[in-house]
Amino acid sequence: MQISNELRAMIGRRRPGYSLEAPFYRTKEVFDLDMDVIFGRHWIYVGVEPDIPEPGDYFTVPLGRTSIVVVRDDDMTVRAFHNVCRHRGARLCDGEKGSVGNVVCPYHQWTYDLTGKLIHTEHMGDEFDRSQFSLKTVHVGNIAGLLFICLADEPPADFEQMRQEMEPYILPHRISDCKIAYEEDLIENGNWKFTMENNRECYHCKANHPELTVSLYEFGFGYQPSPENADEVQAFRELIVREHARWESCGLPSVEREFLDSRVTAYRTERLPLDKAGESQTMNSKVACQKLLGDLTQRNLGGLSFWTQPNSWHHFMSDHIVTFSVLPIDPERTLLRTKWLVHKDAVEGRDYDPKQLSEVWHETNKQDGALVERTQIGSQSAAYQPGPYSPYTEELVEKFMSWYFKRLRAETGHETATVSPFAASA
Amino acid sequence: MSDVIRPSRLGPELWDATPGKWNADEDDTLICAHVRQETHDVKSFLFRAQSPRLFRFRPGQFITLELEIDGAVINRCYTISSPPTRPDTLSITVKRHPGGKVSNWLHDNMKPGLKIKALGPSGDFSCTLHAGPRYLFLSGGSGVTPLMSMARTLYELGEDHDVVFVHSARSPRDIIFRHELAMMTYGTSNFRTAFVCEKIGEARDWSAPTGYLSLPLLKSIVPDLAQREIFCCGPEAYMANVRAMLRDAGFDMAHYHEESFSFERQGVRQPEAETVLVGDETPAASFKIEFTRSGRTIDCRPDQFILDAARAAGMRLPFSCSKGVCGTCKSKKLSGQVAMTHGGGIRQREIDAGMILICCSKPLENVTIEK
Ligand code: FES
Ligand code: FES
Ligand SMILES: [Fe+2]
Repeated sequence: MQISNELRAMIGRRRPGYSLEAPFYRTKEVFDLDMDVIFGRHWIYVGVEPDIPEPGDYFTVPLGRTSIVVVRDDDMTVRAFHNVCRHRGARLCDGEKGSVGNVVCPYHQWTYDLTGKLIHTEHMGDEFDRSQFSLKTVHVGNIAGLLFICLADEPPADFEQMRQEMEPYILPHRISDCKIAYEEDLIENGNWKFTMENNRECYHCKANHPELTVSLYEFGFGYQPSPENADEVQAFRELIVREHARWESCGLPSVEREFLDSRVTAYRTERLPLDKAGESQTMNSKVACQKLLGDLTQRNLGGLSFWTQPNSWHHFMSDHIVTFSVLPIDPERTLLRTKWLVHKDAVEGRDYDPKQLSEVWHETNKQDGALVERTQIGSQSAAYQPGPYSPYTEELVEKFMSWYFKRLRAETGHETATVSPFAASA
Repeated sequence: MSDVIRPSRLGPELWDATPGKWNADEDDTLICAHVRQETHDVKSFLFRAQSPRLFRFRPGQFITLELEIDGAVINRCYTISSPPTRPDTLSITVKRHPGGKVSNWLHDNMKPGLKIKALGPSGDFSCTLHAGPRYLFLSGGSGVTPLMSMARTLYELGEDHDVVFVHSARSPRDIIFRHELAMMTYGTSNFRTAFVCEKIGEARDWSAPTGYLSLPLLKSIVPDLAQREIFCCGPEAYMANVRAMLRDAGFDMAHYHEESFSFERQGVRQPEAETVLVGDETPAASFKIEFTRSGRTIDCRPDQFILDAARAAGMRLPFSCSKGVCGTCKSKKLSGQVAMTHGGGIRQREIDAGMILICCSKPLENVTIEK
């Protein structure tokens, strides 16, 4: 993609440790660049295996102006295609989810099997070579049931590394034995980077998330030390060490692994203690579903968190899983897709109540959506200028931005090495 | 037909060794062993093999007889009324049907010693394929035969399965196997019968209420309906009525099995032959296909795809591949059974939800389609 000198200059002069110049959050040119370089060439988290439990099940992923369809074929393999007919380009599959026999274009009924092969056309003559018109495939990556896609011809190879490292963490929660108990699409009126920045810090949690902070420790994501909180922070550190030892001894990997700006396929994970009953991210911090996941027998397993660049985060508890996927719509609108999973044998009404299960993150998402909108509006002001991130609580925000600029520079041919502004404080 | 001879079967060759299994390909000839008058117009015909053979089949299956009547060869299917637990003979039970070529011929000519050609057994309508602790057998008229075979089997195995046997007849004197059914209720704790008679007829001593089978009546006979594996056989109108009742009762149709009079779905293909089961005489000429939205009703032969018949009748319905691949012709079937051979254009759960591809479906009975 061609980019203007102005944008090139802006990318070059980004000041580490600060939020971005307004055009990054607002202009079509940056958005197009983001869709090409970030969402077009990296692994994007899009859904879970229980979205498509049976052959013929599909779900669609809107990514800017592109649409991808993810299907399960007759051999139970998960595949992804561009949702575009090879005849005259009509959109193929409708809606967010559905199920098909074969993929049939509603326009002139060109029919593709679930491997994307064109198997039927009318009126195309005897010479017509159908084999030249298969659907365009998209790479699929699967980490213990979390589904990622990559639109690039050659996807980043280090996905495999992330998969190998993350599987031991996630497998005990057995996503493939889950069902989606509740899901919600929320459109946030803000640029997708505002959504991600907001997600990567809990600076705002105490004042904005009364529901989430019932179970979430405030020290979990960085804290400026002071004489007043020294004891509490110390106690939390010790709790982590104790709990990690306990969880690891029951076969649940818990230690932090952090590669948020040091890899192309970048991520971070850690199993963190929860406050009060310590069981789940709920209004009373107890499990929301009586049937525990996989073979888990203990309820107080805290929350395993998994964050990926550029677009997802996930929380795995003993009783349920919440996963989030961020899908840009246009420069100033973003789709946040949230799914709540419970064991597939759990019975609604007996083992869990979907409302109770989802209320913490339902409220939290709404609050976050409002905060994102607030920054979007603020960034439109002539007075807006990039502001400094907290070196204590916004370190992961900086890592997100640092990753973002590394990727922009690498993919657009910029050669600027950057040093972490927080290297000294880390 | 060969001479009427009646050799004794009590010789040592039958009893000193275990006879082999009857194999339709090798021993395609049956010999009439006995004819039993069941009611005023119903007879059972017992057959045995030419040399000692044991009949092995699943209760509920049918055989196909090849008969030569007036110089023409006619194939007819009859469900077996005897149980496989009486393996030395095999019986069919046939009602004399006014004007019915085959039933009248059988009633008038079949006697012990006569040989006929037979194929089979085949079919998958059998309680042995859907083992459940509790069964409900529903039959109308001569549809009783496959259910009688099942009931006799369960009885003779001494398994004490919980069975309720509900039979609908025109009048008490039309109840086929009435005394044998009564006898079986004495021998077991879990076998019950109920008879629903349209009218009393000459049976002045009949005290049960008369009329047709209805849902309230069925519920009063079988309060635990929902827990039973249901097997149903009878005239199409009877079975359609049963299906409607069960649907109203919210019955899970996965546990409902029926045998149709006409058939083509058994994999036995006899396009030329008129095929009729259990002794009725409905020729399988063509079925009515009703399209509720277009308000049209067309005729469709059992060997014809519904889409083809509709197009031949001048209807314009959406289709593309006409081989069950693209799903363009997918339609909601409101009633009636079809035989469908699709090519991936439809999913099992769509089929379960009542959808069919009309380009590759042939009717097995009258069908209503929302289109
Ligand atoms: S555009 Fe898809 S078949 Fe014509
Ligand atoms: S026309 Fe293609 S499935 Fe019937
Ligand atoms: Fe938040």
